[in-house]
Amino acid sequence: MSGTSMMTVSPPGMSLRTLLRRSGAQAIPRFTRNLSSESSSVEKKTERAEITVPPVREVTEADVISGAPKELRYRSVRIYQPTRNTMQSGAGKSERWRIDWDTLPGAGRWENPLMGYASSADYMQGTRISFRSKEDAIHFAEKQGWDYYVQQSEPKRIPPKNYAENYVYKPHKLRIARTK
Amino acid sequence: MTTIPARLATLAQRSSSPQESRKRVVRLYREWYRSAPEICAIYALPVSPDYVRHAIRQRFEQNRHVLDQRVIDTLLLKGLQEYQETMNSWKQYDHVMGILLTDINKPQKTFLQKFYEGKDEQAVIPAATGV
Repeated sequence: MSGTSMMTVSPPGMSLRTLLRRSGAQAIPRFTRNLSSESSSVEKKTERAEITVPPVREVTEADVISGAPKELRYRSVRIYQPTRNTMQSGAGKSERWRIDWDTLPGAGRWENPLMGYASSADYMQGTRISFRSKEDAIHFAEKQGWDYYVQQSEPKRIPPKNYAENYVYKPHKLRIARTK
Repeated sequence: MTTIPARLATLAQRSSSPQESRKRVVRLYREWYRSAPEICAIYALPVSPDYVRHAIRQRFEQNRHVLDQRVIDTLLLKGLQEYQETMNSWKQYDHVMGILLTDINKPQKTFLQKFYEGKDEQAVIPAATGV
C-alpha cells in the first residue's frame, strides 16, 4: 500500500502526525526532530517505534466488541443483593448479586393516548444480570466499561423466638400468642 | 446467484505479537479497499467506491485506540466475517447502505434540538420516538 493512496482516503479531520506516521517510515524522524529538539535519544527511540507497547491490563475491554450501544456508557449500573421475597418464607435467590439499570430520568417513557398503556423506549429497563459474587459483578461492569456503584446489603437479622415466651408473665400487657 | 459457503472463510487466529496483528489489520483493510468497486457493483449502490472506502476507513479508525491483543483478534475476526458476508452477497441492500456504510460520526445535537425533544441527556437516546 503506497502512502499516497492512504492519504486520499483519510478523513479530513485527521491530524498531520497520524498522516505522517502512516505515509512512510522516513517522514517520522524528520517530524520528531522539528517538534522536540531537546529530547534525549531514548525518547526519540520510543517515539519512532511504530507500534506502542500495550500496557498489561487485568480486565479485557469488551465494550469495543460487545456491540452494545454507545449510550450505555453514559449510564451507571447498580450492583446489589436482592432482598428476600416477602411472599415466601424461604430466602432463596437472595444470595446472588445483581446488576440492573436505573430508570431514565423523565425520558423515554410515554403513555398510549387511547388505552393508557405505559410504554418505554428504554431498552435496559427490563434487563438484570445475576452473578455469584459481588466481585464477579464488579469485574463484569469494569469489563464492559460501565460506571457502577455497589449498594451494600443489609445484614440479615433473625429475631430470637421460642415457644416458652408465649407463656412468660408480663405485667400490664395483653398476652399475644406468637405463633410465628 | 449461487455462492460457495466456504468462499473467503477464515479460521479464527491468535496473533503472536502486535506487529503481526498490525500486519493482519492492514491486510484486511487492503482487501476492503480493493473490493470497493465490486461492492458497489454487487449491491447496485448509489454511492461511489470512494465513499465506500471512506466509510470502511471510518470503521478502522474507530478502533485505532484498541491495544488489547485479544480484542484486536476478535475485531479482526468480526471484520473478516463482515467481509465474507458482504462479498458473498449474503447481505441485503439495507444491510450495506444502512449499517455498513452509514456515517458513524453523527453531528452533535444542539441544546435547543435536545430541549424541544425533551431529552437533554446523552444517556437518553431511545430507539423509538414514542407517540
